[in-house]
Amino acid sequence: MSMLLAFHKNILEKIHDPSTNELLLLARGLGMRRIICKLLQIYDSPQSLILLVGASPEEESAIGEELGIMGCKKPGLRIVGFETGKKDRQDLYKKGGLISITSQILTVDMLTSEMPTHLITGILILHAERATPTSPEAFIVRLYREKNKSGFLKAFSDQPEHIISGMSPLRTIMKELQLRTVHIYPRFHQEVIDTLGRDRSSVLQLAIDMTEYMTEIHGAIVQCMTTTLSELKRSNTSLDLDDLNVENAYFRSFDMIVRRQLDTVWHKVGPRTKQLVNDLATLRRLLNYLLSYDALAFHAYLETLIASNTVNDAGNARQNQSPWMLTDAANIIFQYAKRRCYTVTKVAPTVNPQPIHDVDDEDAWAALDEMEGMAAKRPAFPQRAAQRPKWLPDGIEPVLEELPKWSLVAAALQEIEEEMIRRESQLSSRDPGTNTVLIMTSSLRTSQSLNEFLSSMNSDSPPGTEGRKMMESKLRTYFWWKSRLGERKQENKPQGSTHGGPNQNQNQRNNPTSSELGEALKKKDREKQARAASRRRTRGGGPPNAGASRDNPPSAGVPSGPTDGKGPADDSDTIAEFLATQDGDLFLTSVNGGLSQIDFASDFDAFYGLLPAEQTVLIRAYSDDTDELMLAEVQPRYIIMFEPNLDFVRRVEVYKKSNPGLGVRVYLLVYNFSCEEAKYLAGVRREKDAFERLIRERGSMLMPILEERRSESTDSLIKTISSRIAGGRKEINTEPSRVIVDMREFRSSLPSLLHASNLLVVPVTLTVGDYILTPDICVERKSIPDLVSSFNSGRLYTQCELMSVHYKQPILLIEWEEHKSFSLDTVADVKSYAKASNKYPPKKQAAANTDANVSAPTIQSKLVLLTLTFPRVRIIWSSSPYATAQIFNDLKSNNPEPDPLKAITVGAEEDPEVGAGVNTAAEELLRTFPGITSKNVKHVMNKVKSVRELCELSLPAVQEILGVQPGKACYEFIHHGESKR
Amino acid sequence: MSSKNSVQRPPVVQPNTGNNIIVNPVQRGNPILECVRNVGKEFGEIVVDYQVGRTTGVLFLSLRYHRLHPEYIHQRIEKMGLAFTLRILLLMCDVSEHQDPIRELTKICLINNITILVAWTPEEAGFYLSTLKQFEHKPPDMIKERQDKDYQSMLRTSLTSISKVNKTDVETLQTSLGNIANVAKASSEQLQNLPGFGQVKVRRLKDAFEKPFRNNA
Repeated sequence: MSMLLAFHKNILEKIHDPSTNELLLLARGLGMRRIICKLLQIYDSPQSLILLVGASPEEESAIGEELGIMGCKKPGLRIVGFETGKKDRQDLYKKGGLISITSQILTVDMLTSEMPTHLITGILILHAERATPTSPEAFIVRLYREKNKSGFLKAFSDQPEHIISGMSPLRTIMKELQLRTVHIYPRFHQEVIDTLGRDRSSVLQLAIDMTEYMTEIHGAIVQCMTTTLSELKRSNTSLDLDDLNVENAYFRSFDMIVRRQLDTVWHKVGPRTKQLVNDLATLRRLLNYLLSYDALAFHAYLETLIASNTVNDAGNARQNQSPWMLTDAANIIFQYAKRRCYTVTKVAPTVNPQPIHDVDDEDAWAALDEMEGMAAKRPAFPQRAAQRPKWLPDGIEPVLEELPKWSLVAAALQEIEEEMIRRESQLSSRDPGTNTVLIMTSSLRTSQSLNEFLSSMNSDSPPGTEGRKMMESKLRTYFWWKSRLGERKQENKPQGSTHGGPNQNQNQRNNPTSSELGEALKKKDREKQARAASRRRTRGGGPPNAGASRDNPPSAGVPSGPTDGKGPADDSDTIAEFLATQDGDLFLTSVNGGLSQIDFASDFDAFYGLLPAEQTVLIRAYSDDTDELMLAEVQPRYIIMFEPNLDFVRRVEVYKKSNPGLGVRVYLLVYNFSCEEAKYLAGVRREKDAFERLIRERGSMLMPILEERRSESTDSLIKTISSRIAGGRKEINTEPSRVIVDMREFRSSLPSLLHASNLLVVPVTLTVGDYILTPDICVERKSIPDLVSSFNSGRLYTQCELMSVHYKQPILLIEWEEHKSFSLDTVADVKSYAKASNKYPPKKQAAANTDANVSAPTIQSKLVLLTLTFPRVRIIWSSSPYATAQIFNDLKSNNPEPDPLKAITVGAEEDPEVGAGVNTAAEELLRTFPGITSKNVKHVMNKVKSVRELCELSLPAVQEILGVQPGKACYEFIHHGESKR
Repeated sequence: MSSKNSVQRPPVVQPNTGNNIIVNPVQRGNPILECVRNVGKEFGEIVVDYQVGRTTGVLFLSLRYHRLHPEYIHQRIEKMGLAFTLRILLLMCDVSEHQDPIRELTKICLINNITILVAWTPEEAGFYLSTLKQFEHKPPDMIKERQDKDYQSMLRTSLTSISKVNKTDVETLQTSLGNIANVAKASSEQLQNLPGFGQVKVRRLKDAFEKPFRNNA
């Protein structure tokens, strides 16, 4: 169990009292989880009902585990998820104890009174920074306080950076959570300093230069970011965009800042600005990947990026590419990224066509090289060295630059090893700690590749080439991947030259000319050139074995299906074909096995790689407070931080203090002059600023006066005796006004606001509509992105159809978000549409093949078609959920109340499982498959358990569920491109 | 005499011939008229402001005008009576304080069986009018469930329906795994290894593919 430090105890003393309510803000890495677990342990008892709200699934399980270690085992923390049935939930609530629950389920259960709200002893809310007037947390607190005034409420947050929105962000949170006390504990809090000490110099920083290419790419990316930023500023001069500098752009929250600045005018900014904002995110990601991905993966990512950027949705060349991609700097990025992987040398087409000879030749060379002992001595430049593998296509020389940090890690490990031996004599077996070396990386991916590197490392090689073996296997996978990319490109262009026939193709295959090796992606015209060139070659100096190969049909082992009949367009095919002829069997396995060929350690939770010396190296990725537990369990003496991480530095501090007498040595690896360092420092500063601001706000904050809970009786009485209601002739209706809301709608903020506006919210599972206001009025709510997507999928049509059948007054509610521009997004598109067809008739021809793009109907025209098709469907245009709540109240006045039981059964005849929880993500995905319509989706969901199960069914089985035609369509979509064996 | 008459009178097109939008003369000078493109316009005495189809009538209201003359729209609605199957109020949102008037109009329109369409610019309003006319006899195929598309775009819509998955990721998935069946089979580790895939994205993918559709409540 992790020990509590002095300041932990102080905090606990302040907040443990179950009669007070408060918010605790703690700097990340100082052990928030310890405090929460300790609190839970204190409160744990069968007589109390403690709810933990807002924990992510990982946090839930980690807290549960830690509580188990601390001795709260029976029953410990129980987790309520969407899989938990209604009955089980009720049982759980009755039995009491510690329960972790998602906010959505808690809201629904409180509303349906399945949760005995008045019996709740207390609620712990994690991630309190999320509380806003429209958030589920605020709704929960409102519901809670309505029925229960004595229970406690403790809120926790370790993200001060996120408490920034609005004039007085802290106050908003306090008001929504109905709290009056806040404790703020930054790293510079006196108690924390007293415990942990002032200095942070306990970390040994190892700085290393990036390689030349990396430096170039790094500079180029930063340059692209600067260009994009200044472009953004130039196109939006009216805005206060001072915050937008490259340094801020390193952080993910930057996107939010930009969006917040632009939100109010989002409809006015052109698609160009939107693209610029997206580009910034892409560039930031690139910067991150540059430092953490290996050269090949980085290059592959770049290629994918280009592929998806140059082609539009309809599969045609895109008109408006991201501006940064066209700059010189971008060219540098692409060029150097490739050069880090391999170089291409031109080979004359008259080269010996027989690959076998080639290989023999190589072997001879290899033998020669080996004799001379040259193999390892020329790492920097491409060579026909001993390692040159047989599968490598001609003309490609692998460079395979490795990340400099890899060898640095190797060096650090070496040093640690020596240190261990040195300290061996001084340590007795009773000293704490183990000789495990802990390596922390920023992501699981990095830890995997590092693990791979360490296990395949050749420590005799000179620095920079230790991982050659691993890189080569990666290169091989990369070539295979690239051939797939090429196939895809060809599928997109079925009009490719087919007249060459199999003859030409065969020649090509047996004669892997590499003259057009080069860029993977070419513009159309260059492809044509290549095609023409290869044709000419066939006709002219055809190699002698061409005739022979014509007689041999492609053998079964060669997976050549997709490329048959199409002219080779770029090098990826050549590579693929070369590979196919070289080593049919081996390659086939890699095709069939898909990615499984790239085998990685199967269990990424525990990577143990054994190094020559008897020590264990444990590689983990940074995560949240779970790291603390891990540190406490592993008790490492040596820690290598592969990337700087503020939280983890603090965790190590806490770990050291918790284990007095343990000599911990920490290495921190940083690239010189990289964004890594800047990012780390900026992160420290940002956190400090945020804390200072919050402390200042707390000093000057006007304490929110908790509004009196409405007393229902008086309210409804006023409403019922109102003389406006037919002068009192109508019989007095004491029932409170209620709205029936679909369960799935509780992800949005509208139910919360409806409740706030004195409506009774009744959650049920509806088949038709989202909200039932009166027996006649049924509302389908669509946010703007929803509206667009459900128009595209055709769902809205079906929904309107259903509503029209079952209700007299079907309504489509189009709801904008608060503070976002109240307007349909597509004004600019309307204009361009008009222009394309009117003003520039000559362009029409060019547009003819891209007409899917140009005449893509706008949202407005679809709306028009909807109103024409369903003249009875009304549309409510609501600028925010607040406005919607008002409108709903309007519509409800003087109308009878809806009946929940009736509403449930409407349209649900064919669905036997009414009321069950639904995995919406899976349902959405299922709906997009061809052959599946809103009519049979329920049926499918009853037949198969998950999408994966559907994917594993055979064709007849799918057809049995869906019918012959749709079943075939669906099956073929799922198994697209699989050879029909 | 009749011949003389016909010579002198300007050629008046009979209303309800069906191919033009019939415009109420009171709308003369409305800037949105200029923005009605691709369809013919003619003036004629009608109870609504624009008749865009045999059974479709449109009233036009600018919120700025409504603020000055709140009674105007009531008179117009009254005049309209029960004519037309599809009754539309084309609302021009040209004030910043739109919440209250829209709320009030929503209620009025619901009582009077009128559908509201909101436009923010004259171009948009004109676009609505011309589209209403153009689509008069159009079947609703465009908004019906799924028109058959090519494999690429189907795959893209399919996978991007999962949150956090973007176009680049679709490309990555397709090139490295091939088809949906393989994506479904792929393990978390394999997905994690693809460029651009972090823990969150992989979890979302796994949730969509592997979690059961429903619980057994």
